[in-house]
Amino acid sequence: MQKTKELSLPVASFEEVFATKSGAIFQSDSEKCWYIDFAGKLARFDYRNLLKLKKAVYNINIEEKLLSSDKSADVEIIFICACDHSYVLSLLELIKLKEILQGTFVMLELNHIIHDRLFRIIA
Amino acid sequence: MKDIMRVKCSISEDVETLINQQIKKEAHSSAIYLGMASWCARNGYEGAAAYFFKQADEERDHQMKFFKYVLDMGGNAVTPEISNIKQEYNSFREVFEEALEQEISVTQSIKNIAARCQKENDFLTLDFLNWFFKEQREEEIKARRAVELFDVIGEEGTGRWQIDKAVGAISYNSEA
Repeated sequence: MQKTKELSLPVASFEEVFATKSGAIFQSDSEKCWYIDFAGKLARFDYRNLLKLKKAVYNINIEEKLLSSDKSADVEIIFICACDHSYVLSLLELIKLKEILQGTFVMLELNHIIHDRLFRIIA
Repeated sequence: MKDIMRVKCSISEDVETLINQQIKKEAHSSAIYLGMASWCARNGYEGAAAYFFKQADEERDHQMKFFKYVLDMGGNAVTPEISNIKQEYNSFREVFEEALEQEISVTQSIKNIAARCQKENDFLTLDFLNWFFKEQREEEIKARRAVELFDVIGEEGTGRWQIDKAVGAISYNSEA
């Protein structure tokens, strides 16, 4: 009897880097990228784009926008050059995204320290 | 979980930002020297003009060294925007006094990067910066010597003509 070849599907292994009630960021080691689950979509960011997103978000002066009495809508468009995704966020969403990003970068730094201590630096 | 951040880039974001600021500073410096060369040439100081053209080239070389270092380390080197370059000076002496100020400011700024590197144990960048410290020592000594010439030779009579000739001959050779 002919044996049916088992289909080997690529297993996408995500690891949660940081999550809040409003969203989360996962890392995929095999794809060397991050997935951001926020504002109703799961978006893939590689190393360069994640840094660009961080820069874009961090550069927005949230305090100034909160104090502004302009009649314009409090909507921020976060567009990243050469990236497939963009975000159109209200101020509250922006604060939430910033929180997730801040947490993520702290966790990535922590991961770096752990790697150093466990595998790289000979005690 | 893999340490992707470290795999992609060998320098921290802070150091990258500081070096990018330095790239801008060196580019600015190069442009200032070019402005000085222009002023000297316009006012008949050919020796000094040649000296400043050479300085402008050197600053550009420094800029490129920093630029390539950031890229080699996996960082993002940013092409700087340069504006507000002084074109006019009040006197021949003022040009050299400002050139010395410029060199001091560059040295201080590189020291600041080194201090940051020391804080985060970035010995790779510290080692890279060592070349610049040696270079800055030479630059500052040469710039200080040029200002000294104004006192030693004096600006009276044919003094400025002599200073103009002497500037090109300033050299620094250190064994250390």
